[in-house]
Amino acid sequence: MDCPVKPGNDGQQNFGEPMITLYDFELSGNCYKLRLLMNILDVAYGIHPVDFFPGREHKSDWFLRLNPFGQLPVLQDGELTLSDSGAILAYLAKKYDTSGQWFPDDPAVTAEILRWHAVADDITATSSAARLALGYGYNFDIEKSRKGAHRIFRLMDEHLWFGEKSGRDWLCAPSHPTTADIACFPYVMLSEEGGISRQDYPALRRWTDRVRRVPGFVVMSGIFPAGPAKT
Amino acid sequence: MPKAPDPITRDLWHVVAATNELPIGQIETTLLLDRRIALTRGIDGEPVAWLATGEENGDEIDSETVLDRLPVRTAYGYTWTCLGTPSAELFPIPEFAEPDRVNMSCGSIGIHVSAPRAVENFLDMGHFPYVHTDILGSEPHTEVKEYDVEVSEERDEVLATKCKFMQPRAAKSATTAMEVEYVYRVPHPFCSVLYKSCPEDESRRDVIGIFLQPMTEETCRAHLLQSMIDSTSTITDLRRFQQTIFGQDKPILENQYPKKLPLDPRSETPIRADKSAIAYRRWLSQKGITYGVIPQAS
Amino acid sequence: MPLSLSDPTWYPIASSEDLPFRHVYQGQLLGRELAVWRADDGNVNVWENRCLHRGVRLSIGINEGQELKCQYHGWRYANQSAGCTYIPAHPADAPSRRIENRKYPVREAFGLIWSAANDDQPFAPFDGAQGEDWFPLRPMPVDAAPEDVVAGLARLAPDDQPADLLPGMAVRLGAAVFFVQPVDAGRAVIRGLLAGQPHDAMAALRHHNETLTKLRDRLERAAARKPAPEPLQPVFEKVSAELSTMPDIAVPRGNTITVVVKRKWKSAEGVIGFELADRDGRYLPTFQPGAHIDVHLPNGLVRQYSLTNGPGDLNSYVIGVKQESASKGGSKVLVETVREGDVLAISEPRNNFPLRRDATRTVLIAGGIGITPLLSMARFLDKSSLKYELHYFTRQSERLAFSSELDVLHGSIDRHVGLGREAITAKVAEVLGPYQFANHVYICGPGTMLEMVQQTASALGWPDEAIHFEYFQNDKVIDASSAFDVELARSAMTLHVPAGRTILETMREAGLTVPSSCEQGACGTCLTGVIEGEVDHQDVYLNKTEKASNTCIMTCVSRAKGPRLVLDI
Repeated sequence: MDCPVKPGNDGQQNFGEPMITLYDFELSGNCYKLRLLMNILDVAYGIHPVDFFPGREHKSDWFLRLNPFGQLPVLQDGELTLSDSGAILAYLAKKYDTSGQWFPDDPAVTAEILRWHAVADDITATSSAARLALGYGYNFDIEKSRKGAHRIFRLMDEHLWFGEKSGRDWLCAPSHPTTADIACFPYVMLSEEGGISRQDYPALRRWTDRVRRVPGFVVMSGIFPAGPAKT
Repeated sequence: MPKAPDPITRDLWHVVAATNELPIGQIETTLLLDRRIALTRGIDGEPVAWLATGEENGDEIDSETVLDRLPVRTAYGYTWTCLGTPSAELFPIPEFAEPDRVNMSCGSIGIHVSAPRAVENFLDMGHFPYVHTDILGSEPHTEVKEYDVEVSEERDEVLATKCKFMQPRAAKSATTAMEVEYVYRVPHPFCSVLYKSCPEDESRRDVIGIFLQPMTEETCRAHLLQSMIDSTSTITDLRRFQQTIFGQDKPILENQYPKKLPLDPRSETPIRADKSAIAYRRWLSQKGITYGVIPQAS
Repeated sequence: MPLSLSDPTWYPIASSEDLPFRHVYQGQLLGRELAVWRADDGNVNVWENRCLHRGVRLSIGINEGQELKCQYHGWRYANQSAGCTYIPAHPADAPSRRIENRKYPVREAFGLIWSAANDDQPFAPFDGAQGEDWFPLRPMPVDAAPEDVVAGLARLAPDDQPADLLPGMAVRLGAAVFFVQPVDAGRAVIRGLLAGQPHDAMAALRHHNETLTKLRDRLERAAARKPAPEPLQPVFEKVSAELSTMPDIAVPRGNTITVVVKRKWKSAEGVIGFELADRDGRYLPTFQPGAHIDVHLPNGLVRQYSLTNGPGDLNSYVIGVKQESASKGGSKVLVETVREGDVLAISEPRNNFPLRRDATRTVLIAGGIGITPLLSMARFLDKSSLKYELHYFTRQSERLAFSSELDVLHGSIDRHVGLGREAITAKVAEVLGPYQFANHVYICGPGTMLEMVQQTASALGWPDEAIHFEYFQNDKVIDASSAFDVELARSAMTLHVPAGRTILETMREAGLTVPSSCEQGACGTCLTGVIEGEVDHQDVYLNKTEKASNTCIMTCVSRAKGPRLVLDI
């Protein structure tokens, strides 16, 4: 599986080594954020699988040399080694998004996006923690994680509901998705694995349909695609 | 207060951990049949299990000091224990001992569903195109052809043979869809083993096992085993593949209601493709299993 | 009153705007989860959130527009009826049993979606609802007991203007009405309506959202100090005994349905369209593409017509009838004497011409009036974004029926007009091409065309199971040379059927009254149960599996293979 992939464009791989290598774990929502954006941006990349579970390879010597924080994902682009999914999303958008829409230069929008990147980290600390505790034997406080996730989801639902009312379909002001939507999406979508129902967040559920209909969207294991929109 | 497990379930060997993932000299706790049990490994590497008494998780321990032990055995890379009187034998997987096989655990993953629901999902082929899209199946090839199911009296297991399904990428080299053949065994109420045609050697089969640890009636932990004929892939690659598959089943299982497997035939709507599931449900009924199932009202 | 599913009250369960197209909303009422979705035709469906097959939530499924597709095995359920129309694991079978998800009453009114846990009470608008233009607020879920939420809302009222408690957990506070949806014993949703459109809609929404958020926080703090109520136990009703086992072959005798001719029009030269609807405006039974209905004509005859409808389209059935000069009083009666507003009896839909949706290539070939079942198939494939090619042969362009319906399809539609016999054969051969794996062709048209396409396809290597067709007339030569006895179990008599006479004739001669219609083994009217003996099937009504089951016989043409047959008559 250690092979260059240009997902969504089967059979038309770029020949030669891709410049980008993603150190990746399939079931990680944080790794998926990068696979998702690179697929949307049609960026070719190779995957270096890391045995996060059960092998705990992200704590192995070789990985800690790559990222002393011992966290996935790590992305190498040529000589550059980057970590932290939110930071890498910004990097990929700045470098490879020719449309300029995924991480716009406008200072106000940048601030908004970074605000939601921070929310995404809070979602990871709650929703993903509950998932890791229930599914993968992590010793996190499940009740506390769930409560924290519900608190965030309530605010997101309200934000998105009023967004719909005022013609804003995405988390940030522009009339198109940004890296903020990518950053928040995976652990919202995987919340049920942590026993966090999204039943009380109808606007949040509708937003997950919209994200899943972004051109170039790919799934990860645990997330199903949305059907086609009405034409 | 959870109800006591039925005597059949109580006396079964149950999987609780991948043996070499248990820390030596440190306590790990887990749930089995609503009881908290503690696990560790001695310096000899042998697993030790006992009924947990309190907050033991993470503590250091010398396994020699544990006196009141549960019976333990290691098989297929996993640690098994029993809360009742265990039978002498665990079901056989003879292929596991073949010297050229790559045997590996693929992680123990908690799921919010009963163990029998997870077994039934493992036996099911009809969901391949919808849940394992472009890996184990893809539309439009959705047909589940007739296959054979029997309950082997001699071995006391459910056996489904001649199970065929059209798979988009059955082998790494495959460019077109091809039909693969599966054999499924259910040799234990909460375990299943499948045999799948092996791309590398036509005369042999890859073996994939799922061993479910019934934690409560509505939650379980899936322990995955792969025993492969594969000289090229790394363990990380092979684990990643199996985890990808299992990660796709997880949201389905966790969205299934009721969580316990209903044994009354009028609870759900079977079709011909569900023959093996029907045989499995009947087999559980006949055995008198009531843990993790909704028994048929008598 | 304690909360329970026997409560017949209509509660709001969603806002209208919670249901955009192609979305499945997850709801809950009195402990029972609901999958709520709007079809492309605007209809709102409220179903139990659980596929009947393996209990998976339908709210993780896909709203395909007119059908809901379960995420687990791709089973499809029709808009309105919730009837299963397709089981992908068995693509060649029409679902023979009536598999229907549980559905609940629904009404869309005042910007809200209303439902009830049972059908015991008709919908009635709340007091004072009429005559106002209602403005829905943002719903506010609260983790507190519904009765506490009602009390909390009532306490919002100023002292000099006390709240007005309405029946059904509703509270009127001045110009606003708040409904409490009892989600579960410890959970509720507040759904508010303002009378009249506010001057500044966003400001009003923000204001009420803030008030309700504060109320929610107070109610949840209070709820946290009390023991949490035990959640209501959802009851999973059992399926019928018929559904609980793997299907044996059951030949549906079906009840007749009374329909009214809603519309009759000339679709093309020689083709009359009929739109048939339930007299009381209810939806009609689920059907699968390729299905037909029996139409009982005013002159006592029974004739079969294919449905042209698309998926989940159950408000009326549309059939096409050929205007034939040589017609023996079947189609002729329909065309000449039946008018809009007339009432007809029809059978439930029956399918001898099931559409597989597991093909890599689907070719639909229609000749003349044979377009009708293929139009239905094309519509189903279209909605599921599956590729197909439809080839429609007619003698003249004026005879091309259902043109506007075909024009809106996205598949490849080719109309072939005025070709001679040989040109048609050549065209069919060109269209089909050599057989490839998972290709399927469906043909409907005159008998000669069916045979021609079958021969052409066979010659190109197409196997029988890839060539699908349906006869409406039995063109086979009936072999009546056998002689045998029939024992009529319920009538306690044994009759001898000589060569050259049918079972039906023999029974009639013996004084029995036996219903029949076409008397050529095509309409199904004389269907009779078989208790013993092997049947020599010569009809075109029963499908292969039904024939193989040896449980029924068309007495007008079919005979015994052995010396004796025992019939359930």
